[in-house]
Formats: sequence, structure tokens, C-alpha cells
Amino acid sequence: MESSDCFIETRGLSRQYRVGPAEIHALVEVDFHVQKGEFVAILGVSGSGKSTLLHLLGGLDTPDCGCVRVGDRDLAGMTSMERTIYRRTVVGFIFQSYYLVGSLTATENVALALTFQGVFGAERTRLAAESIERVGLGLRASHRPNQLSGGEQQRVAIARAIVHRPALLLADEPTGNLDRATAAEVMGLIHQVHRDLGTTVVMVTHDEEMAARVADRVLRIRDGRLEGAGGSA
Amino acid sequence: MRALKIAGLAMNGLRRSPLRVTLTTLGVTFACGALVTMVALAIGIQRQVETPFRALAMLNNIQVRPKEGKDADKAPPLDDAALANIEKLPGVAAAYPDVHIKGIKVRYEKKEAIAIGIALPREASLLGVADEFIVAGRLFDEGNRPEAILGLSVVKELGFKTPAEAVGKQIALEAAGLTPDGGDKFTYQQTTMALTVIGVYEAPALLPGAARQGILLPVELMKDIPGIHLDSALSRLKSGGPIVTSGYASATVRVRDPAMLHEVQVKLTAMGFSTEAMLNKLQHMRQFFLAIQMLLSVVGSVALIIAALGIVNTLLMAVMERYQEIGLCKAIGASDGDLFILFLTEAGIIGCLGGLTGLGLGWLVSQLMELVAGFYARGQGITGRLNLFAFPLWMVAVTVAFAILVSIVAGIYPALRAARVDPIRALRSH
Repeated sequence: MESSDCFIETRGLSRQYRVGPAEIHALVEVDFHVQKGEFVAILGVSGSGKSTLLHLLGGLDTPDCGCVRVGDRDLAGMTSMERTIYRRTVVGFIFQSYYLVGSLTATENVALALTFQGVFGAERTRLAAESIERVGLGLRASHRPNQLSGGEQQRVAIARAIVHRPALLLADEPTGNLDRATAAEVMGLIHQVHRDLGTTVVMVTHDEEMAARVADRVLRIRDGRLEGAGGSA
Repeated sequence: MRALKIAGLAMNGLRRSPLRVTLTTLGVTFACGALVTMVALAIGIQRQVETPFRALAMLNNIQVRPKEGKDADKAPPLDDAALANIEKLPGVAAAYPDVHIKGIKVRYEKKEAIAIGIALPREASLLGVADEFIVAGRLFDEGNRPEAILGLSVVKELGFKTPAEAVGKQIALEAAGLTPDGGDKFTYQQTTMALTVIGVYEAPALLPGAARQGILLPVELMKDIPGIHLDSALSRLKSGGPIVTSGYASATVRVRDPAMLHEVQVKLTAMGFSTEAMLNKLQHMRQFFLAIQMLLSVVGSVALIIAALGIVNTLLMAVMERYQEIGLCKAIGASDGDLFILFLTEAGIIGCLGGLTGLGLGWLVSQLMELVAGFYARGQGITGRLNLFAFPLWMVAVTVAFAILVSIVAGIYPALRAARVDPIRALRSH
């Protein structure tokens, strides 16, 4: 589909790895697109290639062949520095393991992202506090990760991912480490961010029920091939 | 600004492993301490040795001697007439004999001391020199009064409780010696002088003990002491030349401006004398001390390089421990350069802290060594502060800068490792 609202578009996107003598085809000619402001969930079992797709969309990795466009950017043709700037300005990442810095408070973890984005001083403090408030952790702002529950840590990670108002939020199994009730809360928060900020979200998960509840469109990936990725829901 | 803020994150990184970072910093501290102590000792001793040169304004001096060797018998004598001619040369401020004679008896009331008579020109006071050695009274001034300046040891032996107490007192000087009598004959002579003590000096602590046992006399008074021409006469006699009754073994020629040293030296050589500028002597000494300083610096630097290996180790461990965090930083927008700066700054902070604490340690150790050396020196009869160590500002700055530089160089490899971390691999690692 070609549309003025098309925000993400991949064509013939392939990525393979060599592990010892074996060649692993993580992605095979993936064609898909995402509308601006859409919430897309990608379902797949472990090793199906969903994280690889997310890494390519986030500019952490480069494809072996095919193209990936986000907005008006061709990620495949970018230099390493251009991809860094792209990650800094366009993308927000949420990971399954939160990846918070243990020695920093919740607010400092959020502000860390702003440091690399070149935001300093009072503006940095204001944005970090605002983001922490948005995820409902205003009272836990000065707590360190080991003083927070898993769900709260993931909320801090979400605050860090959205603190610079990215156009694209990439979530890699964001509820994978959480119990059912907390997972529902976190998923609800991601959905709320998507709705309030109009952020385009691509989330990979293997929780089909949760995906169906929050996503505009659910795609399946199996053995590196995306199924039913033609149009938007 | 951005780089500065990222560098600010380095402190947070270092706080993560306080024990390891402290131990690594201690390595730098000890290395810098050793470096500083050794170099401070070399500089301190150099200053002590150079003090007389500076204090007596000896850098304008040329030491003149009669020629020795096969043509010595034809060489002109270095006598009062020659010195008078030398004084007339353009650029020469003064020319006077270098005379010192051992075994001079000095008496005050019933006390007696054996001293070394040393000639000091009256112009010394006009040059504003030696003030730092005079502990009571003053130097000679114009005129021809019978005056003397005593060494601190002589003052004590004569029973004065303080240097000031000796000033103004009348002392008696007795000297005896052989005076050349023309041909190959020498006459034994004795002389007694009544002198007024006008000052007391204290020789620098590192000078030989004999320097404190002196009695300084104006040159014209010294000429009346028997035996002052003995060395010169014996030297001429040995080389087969005629004995010159009024010759000196050596003399000092002071030029008005060090720039004229060479010109005056050439003229003195043309007059038939051997010459050596004190500036040359000092330069030779400086070369020697520079070599010592370099040697000690190399030894200290080796210690610092070993400490730098500790920094490499600490930072490599930090890169390993913070592998996922590095991956995360890259995912949220850190560039390779940001991470390079971050780890290089951590290395620089360790170097800076180690350099500063090393300076402190070096200073403490030097004070301790100064105390011990002072205690030993007092046992040997040397009074006053030895000042064996010197901490010039440039050395303080260079030491800290060197510690930072070595640490940053040590940090390059770990910083490159951090910069090259593959974020995907890092985020997948456990």
C-alpha cells in the first residue's frame, strides 16, 4: 500500500546470521507497512525473527538486502552516525528486561536518554519529571531500580522511551517478565501513550490475547516470514 | 556542552565500583608520589648547590689562573699588577685574588677557635649578594677598617650565645705561614691583627662543614696574612719557573654583564691566563642535574606506567560489567564517540585524583625525609633547615598533567572497546 500516511515501509527485507557453519535466515523478504499513528503487534515464537525486525526498524541493525523506510528516511542507506541520530530523535525503545541503570534513580534513568539527545539543565529536569508523572511514578521518582517492582521498572523504561516524544515506539516483549495483572497494566500504559501522544507503535510479543486487546493490527511472523502484512486493519 | 555533560556521567560510572576504583587510584597515587618525591629531591639538591652561585652573584664571575704545563715558566704571574691591568679591561667590574688559608687562630677573651681565612671583596655588599647568608650584622662596606665576618661555628666556639652578641666585638687573629722570598727561598712569618666583628654568616646546610668554620676578611687585609702566595710559588717552582713573590693561585674577575663574559675571557686568555667562567661550571652542573632528574623521572614514570596498566584493567572490567548498559545507551541515542569520551573521562578522573593525591603523598614523604635528614645532620653539627626537596609550581602542574595524560592513554583501549560494542549483542547478553 502506498499512502501519504504510510510511516513505515519495508520491501524484500532480509537478514541472515552465520552461527558457526550454520546460516540462519532471521528475516526473509519481509514486505510490510505501518500507518502513521498505528499500533501494530507482531506475534511470533522465540527465534521467529520478530526482534530482528524490531532492531532493523530501530536502526540498531542493517539489512542484508531489501529496504526499510521510516518517514522519509531510508535506513538501509544510512551511515552509522545517521542511524545514531535517527535512534536519538525518532525512536523510543522498550525492552523486556527494562535495562535500567542500577545506580541511577528513576528520574535520572529517564534523563539519561535526554543527555544523549543534547537536552540539559532545567529543560532536562522538567521533561524527565513530566515523563515520570505520565507513567504514574511521580512518588517513586527518586527511587532506584532495586527499590521498584518489575511493573514499576517497566514504567520507568516506558517513561525513558517517550521522554523525547519519539514518532516511533518499538516495544520488544514489554510484558515478558511480568505477571498477568502487571502485564495488563503495562500494556494499558503503552496503549495510553499511543493514544495520547499519537505515537506509532510496533510491538513484538507472543501474548496473542494481550496483542489483540491493544493493537490496531496483529501480524504473525514465522521462520522469518511475515504473514498477512499487506494492509492496515 | 554535550561532550561535557556526557563526561559528567563518568563520575557515576566510577561510583559503581568504589573499591576497585579506589585501589586503581591508589596505584596512580603511589606512582605519582614516588615520581614527585624523586624529582623534588633532585631539584632541591640542585637548588642547594646553585644557591651560592645565585647568592654570591657568581654567574658574572670568571675564575682566572696562571697557565700551567710546559709553557708555565713563560706565563705571566697572576699578581696585584696583573689584577690591576685586568680591572682596566672594558666590561670588568672588579678583579681580586681567591685566597683562603687554613689554620688561622681567632681569639676572643680567653676563648680560641681555629678558622679558615677567606678573602671577600668589599664590593660584595654593593652587589646586594649574600644577604641570605648573613644572620647578624652586615657585609663589608667601603673603607679599609680592620673588620671580619665570622662563620656561625666560629662564633659558637668563641663562646657567643647568639650571632648578634658577636657583632661589634674585638677579636684577635693570629696567622703564620711561609712567604716566598725570591729565588727558591721561603721565610716563616707570623702576624697578629685586631679586628672588629661586623657580621656573622651561616653557610648553606649542604656545603662542607669547613664553610661554616670561616673568617671572612676584606681582600686588602687578607693580603697581609703570611702564606697567601705559597700555593702559587710552589706551583711555579714545580714547573721550573722563577718564584714570583706576589703571585696568586687564582683570582676572580667579575664582569658587569654576563653577555660580556666571552669577550673578557678572550682578552684574559690573550693576556696569558687560564680562564673558566662560573656560568660554564653552572651549566655543566645543570646538565648533570638534568640527567639525574631525567633518570629519576624515568624511574617514576615506569611506576606510573605500571599503575596505568591497573587503569586499563579496571576500565576493561567496567566495559564488561556495563556491557548491557553500553548497548542500552547506544539504543537510546549514544554515539560511539559519546561512549569513547565517557570511558576516557573515567580514565582521566582516575589520573587526576591519583595525580593530586600523589602530590600530597610525595610532599608528606619529603617532609618526613627532611625531618630524618635534619635529625641526622644536627648529629653531624649541621644546623638549619636542609631544604633537600623543592616543589616548584611547574612540577606540580606537570605531575598532575602527566598522570592525567598517562591515564587517558591507558583509557584509549577500553574506551575503544566500549565504543565498538554491538548494541544488539549487548542487549541480548545476560
